[in-house]
Amino acid sequence: MYWTRRSRLTGIAYLTPALLFVLAFTAYPLARMVWMSFHKWSLITPPSWVGLDNYRRAFADDQFWVSFGFTLKYTAIITPILIVGGYLLALLCSRGSPLRRLTRTTVFIPVVIGLGVSSLLWYWLFSTDFGLINRALMDLGVISKPVLWLGVDADVSMLAIIASVTWKVIGFGMILFFVSIQAIPTEIHEASLVDGASWWQRVTRVVLPLTLRTVLVVTLVSVIGSLLAFDQFYIMTAGQPQNETATSVFYVYLNSFPYLRLGYGAALSMILALTILAFTVVQLLLTRRSHA
Amino acid sequence: MGMDLIYAPQFEDAQQLVDLTDRISAWPELKTASKGHMTVATFENRLYGVPLYADVSALFYNKDLFKQAGLDPEKPPTSLAEVRTYADKITALGGDIKGYYLPGNCAGCNIFTVGPLMWASGAKIEAAGPGDEPLVGDGVKQVLQWTRDMVKSGNVHEGDRTENGETFHLQFGSGKVGMMGTGNFNITLARQQNPKMDFGIALLPGMAPNSSASFIGGDLVVVPKGSDRVDDAVNFMKFLLSDEVQVEVYAKALNLTTRSDMVENKYFEAEPLVQDVAKALTVGRTPYTLTFFEQINSPQGPWLKMLQRAYYTDDNLDTVIADAKAAMKTIANQ
Repeated sequence: MYWTRRSRLTGIAYLTPALLFVLAFTAYPLARMVWMSFHKWSLITPPSWVGLDNYRRAFADDQFWVSFGFTLKYTAIITPILIVGGYLLALLCSRGSPLRRLTRTTVFIPVVIGLGVSSLLWYWLFSTDFGLINRALMDLGVISKPVLWLGVDADVSMLAIIASVTWKVIGFGMILFFVSIQAIPTEIHEASLVDGASWWQRVTRVVLPLTLRTVLVVTLVSVIGSLLAFDQFYIMTAGQPQNETATSVFYVYLNSFPYLRLGYGAALSMILALTILAFTVVQLLLTRRSHA
Repeated sequence: MGMDLIYAPQFEDAQQLVDLTDRISAWPELKTASKGHMTVATFENRLYGVPLYADVSALFYNKDLFKQAGLDPEKPPTSLAEVRTYADKITALGGDIKGYYLPGNCAGCNIFTVGPLMWASGAKIEAAGPGDEPLVGDGVKQVLQWTRDMVKSGNVHEGDRTENGETFHLQFGSGKVGMMGTGNFNITLARQQNPKMDFGIALLPGMAPNSSASFIGGDLVVVPKGSDRVDDAVNFMKFLLSDEVQVEVYAKALNLTTRSDMVENKYFEAEPLVQDVAKALTVGRTPYTLTFFEQINSPQGPWLKMLQRAYYTDDNLDTVIADAKAAMKTIANQ
């Protein structure tokens, strides 16, 4: 009993720093945000209790739902690109050769650049008057006049942003898939070769099923990241044209800070957080099923 | 502290700034201080600050392109109809040359340079507060029609549509624009960018001949609530408004003086362009509203949406204005 109690105290002692961190940087901010969502607060005036008014307003706010719809559309388009693209790259680079190692490194390098920096880089690459992309396309004769990539047509802007984000993050999925593929025992590959399986059959019937859990995890991370997209849209389009590329988080930011409606922004954040939680639960259930 | 003057009313209403009325209202320097600055530094007849820095908008025009187009470089346009006529001739030069510039994706650039066209045409733009009416006067529709016509007639580059303010200050100095609304800051920038370009400055005109207006922007010196050094701050304000600082600090660096009676000085006399742009202080104004960002400056706000619909669509302008009016009133009434 003495040892059990001592073990327990030792365990708590080891956990305490992590617990304090979570309390300070997760639990407290979350509780504070819930509190804010029930108040009207401009930051420069004292907060006042408004109950559920912010939530009622959110559900009647057309722009929030337009932004939410756009965010879902963006997520639905970019997620397959990142998963399929990352997986194909991992397959292509899974064998150990200097060229393949170089390719893995090259594809992974943009991952370590901050998303803000990457977005700024691509903003200037897509610039109508000063960007290299238009210059290159015109010099190659592909286009006769500059393309208005950002802020004029919502779909063109979204595709340009998807290109920039894909360049930046596809290496992350590639590396995780690569590790997962490498973890498959060699004997299984050899057995499938002995059975006469083609490359495609090995990929679809051996590699993919054995790496399915990683695929689901990477999909979950990608979906959450896309639902929380902000930096790239703030920097590259500022929600233009006419709010058609304003994502949910962008709209939360707008209300919270420039419009000085922290309480309303907190309510929007709560709705978004609960939506993402729902997605996560579904994803985890799928993951558990695949493991079984 | 220094703060963007446009947001001062919001902070004054929230009682976040120290009331300085009893300390400074009798200063003689304030009689000639920038009207725009003093308007926003005042809330419910109480005074909260003095001018720190002044920006004004004006019409910059490329004299080289004027000559090439057969226009008199010493006679800038005095009405929007003349701007259109001159722009047509400059655009006809061909190549990458256009007669005018309209920033299509920048709310702040437009209130700075298109807003004065409406003011000069007798219109009012912003809703000051709850119950106030925005976008009043025929000038709103007339100017929107004029801008739509400028775009349709090919007098602006197609790429202007993506301008969100990031490269606004580089456009005039490129030498490819005949005329454009921009600020006093562009005198130095244009010279650095294009030293050989000969250019002039005039006031932003309205629909009627010889009508003009300008946007007075910049910063105020204010004192945050709770400050322990109000006396020191007030002394500094007095220092800023003194004759010596106005001339030997502001004017010497070719910044606008914040007192209109100090515009005649030896430094400005040596720089005619600065003298020309300083005239804008006399016809300038600063919008006064408690919700400037949300109504006007926000990329998602009704002001930019209205302008984009006017510039780039065929939507009925009465509907465009009515929609913007309703949105601005909703914001002001919150």
